[in-house]
Amino acid sequence: MIFIKLCVQYITILLTKLNYNLKSEEKTFYETKLVEVKNTCFSNDKQIEVIIETKRLIDNNSEKELSLDVISKIQFTSKYHLLRLFKRYYGQTPRQYLIDKRIEKSKQKLANGKGVSETCFEVGFESLGSFSKLLKKKQGNYLVNFKKSNFREVNNI
Amino acid sequence: MKVTLISIPVRDQEKALQFYTKKLGFLLKKDAPLGGGNRWLTLVSKDWQDGPELLLEPAPNHFEPCKVFQDALLEAGYPYTQFDVDDVDAEYERLIALDVQFSIKPTTMGTVKYAVFNDTCGNNIQLVETL
Repeated sequence: MIFIKLCVQYITILLTKLNYNLKSEEKTFYETKLVEVKNTCFSNDKQIEVIIETKRLIDNNSEKELSLDVISKIQFTSKYHLLRLFKRYYGQTPRQYLIDKRIEKSKQKLANGKGVSETCFEVGFESLGSFSKLLKKKQGNYLVNFKKSNFREVNNI
Repeated sequence: MKVTLISIPVRDQEKALQFYTKKLGFLLKKDAPLGGGNRWLTLVSKDWQDGPELLLEPAPNHFEPCKVFQDALLEAGYPYTQFDVDDVDAEYERLIALDVQFSIKPTTMGTVKYAVFNDTCGNNIQLVETL
């Protein structure tokens, strides 16, 4: 009799625990949607790892001459495959990403008072003409005007 | 055209101002009276002071559908908006120490790491770090 009672008690405790666990694992609607997205778009961990590494490679070497050929050789993948995957996971091509990265770095340098041509070559662009065109396109005329007005102030002094 | 403003609905503008400046670290940019105790209240990110302004608007107090929508998002765990951070884990630790409640701890999915907290003004807010 005592044995059965103990058994019942044990089972009750187990059931309570199970119920508690189920409740604490209840997901919000948003979390269930995230799981769906993860399963449909981000299930290939190994592939994602390679693409994150590729992005870091660009981050750390953006001032160097970086072509898709070089990057794909380092990553041991075909360049078109890498291009497609990068675009799929980051929403832009490695080239677009690299240009944005360089522009971001040039913004900092220009704001710190560095000259336009010096900045251009330091961040990795090869032509001054295409750099100022890019700046205008990506930043409006803000930075170029900013540099010009800096010049005027210096000249006036 | 330029994108300069992002608005977040809040139930109590003063409470929101305190939370967003003291805990999240935003800076007050504009504060002008709009009558009836309402304010045009905007903040900017400390790390990007010429970036877009964050408008803390009292819409849920004046327009019922906004309140219903905000409540439904909160209930479903959906973030109203998201902010970029350099390091989600570090920001999570910093905010936990300030008693901020998180509904999702730092989690990795694909090329991002994210976490979701309650802004105490009616919204879930997501922090995102691009990996």
